Amino acid sequence: MRAAAAAKYVAFARVATALARRDRGELYGRMLFFAVILGVFSSLWRAVAEAGMPIAADPKLLVWYLATTEWIILSAPPVHTDVQESIRRGDVVCRIGRPVSYVGAAFAEALGLLAVRAPLLAATAWACAFAFTGWIPSLTSLAWTLPFGFAAAALITAMYLWIGLLAFWLEDVSPVFWVVQKLLFVFGGLMLPIELYPRAMQVAAAWTPFPAMLAGPASFVLRQSGAGWLMLALEQSAWGGAAALAVWWAFRRASATLTINGG
Amino acid sequence: MRERSNHLAFVSALLATNLKAAVALRGAFVIQVVFMMLNNLTFFVFWWALMRRVPELRGWRLGDIQVLFGIVAAGFGLTVTLAGGVRHLSRFIDDGELDTLLAQPQPVLLHALGLRLQASGFGDMLSGIAFIASSGQVSWRAAPVVLLAIAASALVILACGILFHSLTFWLGNVDTVARQLWELLITFALYPEPLFGGGLRLVLFTLLPAGFVGYVPARLAQRPTAALVVLTIAAASAYLLFAAAVFERGVKRYASGSRFGVHG
Repeated sequence: MRAAAAAKYVAFARVATALARRDRGELYGRMLFFAVILGVFSSLWRAVAEAGMPIAADPKLLVWYLATTEWIILSAPPVHTDVQESIRRGDVVCRIGRPVSYVGAAFAEALGLLAVRAPLLAATAWACAFAFTGWIPSLTSLAWTLPFGFAAAALITAMYLWIGLLAFWLEDVSPVFWVVQKLLFVFGGLMLPIELYPRAMQVAAAWTPFPAMLAGPASFVLRQSGAGWLMLALEQSAWGGAAALAVWWAFRRASATLTINGG
Repeated sequence: MRERSNHLAFVSALLATNLKAAVALRGAFVIQVVFMMLNNLTFFVFWWALMRRVPELRGWRLGDIQVLFGIVAAGFGLTVTLAGGVRHLSRFIDDGELDTLLAQPQPVLLHALGLRLQASGFGDMLSGIAFIASSGQVSWRAAPVVLLAIAASALVILACGILFHSLTFWLGNVDTVARQLWELLITFALYPEPLFGGGLRLVLFTLLPAGFVGYVPARLAQRPTAALVVLTIAAASAYLLFAAAVFERGVKRYASGSRFGVHG
């Protein structure tokens, strides 16, 4: 019974994977963006090194750190836009009637997209980071970033899904997305390791899910080892549970108050 | 002369209608403006955190970066507020939505650009001006030059948007690519010029003119000279005229979408 239910969601993921393989324009765009942003930052870190590096980290390590955080964030599909459109157009009503969970199907589709994007963007990230630094971190640390990076991208996707569901109450969820995304950039340590922030911000970041999404997986590269993996696994599991609860609660509240007009 | 004043009246009416539509949902409008300001402020935290530790990067201090960021944010905000349709040009072209505009007595490009207003653009403009004002690099007496710099930046952003999206006339649906090229332009414009060297710098002043979106207008705002004024105006005009010419050429190739629709 459970296997049959799971098979439905696997089918959603497979369809999304097939579509993503066909429609590769956006993915190529992301790869180009990746190369550009890493190029910009490798120049920036060289300039920072000239001015006196503020932390005890090699500029090459910081480029690899950024490659990892960017890989995670660019791999997560912006599922909130599809969910918002589905709610705005009223398509959600047709989907609710299906014998599958609407949010479960949306998340499965997003994971299908993630399965196509993540490997290609990881290859791009590593190739670009190598091209800009001429150096590769320890293979052990890279091996640790892969599963935790993928889990982090799935966690970000769940957060985007929750933002999309806010379209049941808000006219446009973009402003919420922008702010959450920028909080993710800052408290997650997208461009700078969190250790570079003032102490108060580091403490504030520790209370948010964002470090588990970006800095956590990317720190394996900075540390050059898999140290701290158990703590990160626990954090990601806890925040994953919280995200699942938030998505379930939001959709339940929206379904209870949904008014369907027309036929 | 009369035709020009007609166009001006048309543009004013289009803007007024768009503004009324945006403000009609007052709550959503305010949320978009405020959240965009927060968004820009959050983005700047990176520079603030970095430059607390490294006060100078190849001659650039935090105040210089604030002016650069402010000019680009305000220029982008001005573009998507007054000509928000530029972000949808590819779709208009590919979906045949230009049909209804071609049948009307107003310039197609002007009409298409004015079809959408992005409320968040006001947030960009306000935060951009706040960044410039709080940078300590620009005096109030320089306000006219700052406005000129913002306008020039906006025109180059607009011109690039028109150019990238007009590729649809020749290449089919390139909406995603055009949007990403536009994002790249803004991304490059937000970082200090000395970070880029050699061939890339040449690209940033020609093919992907981030130099005329950020660095040159920012320098004009900080240290205005007659030569910079001329250069800024000339670059903005040249890019805009070139973009408009490319669009016009594309319209000649445009194949109707045979779509029935109504435009307000």
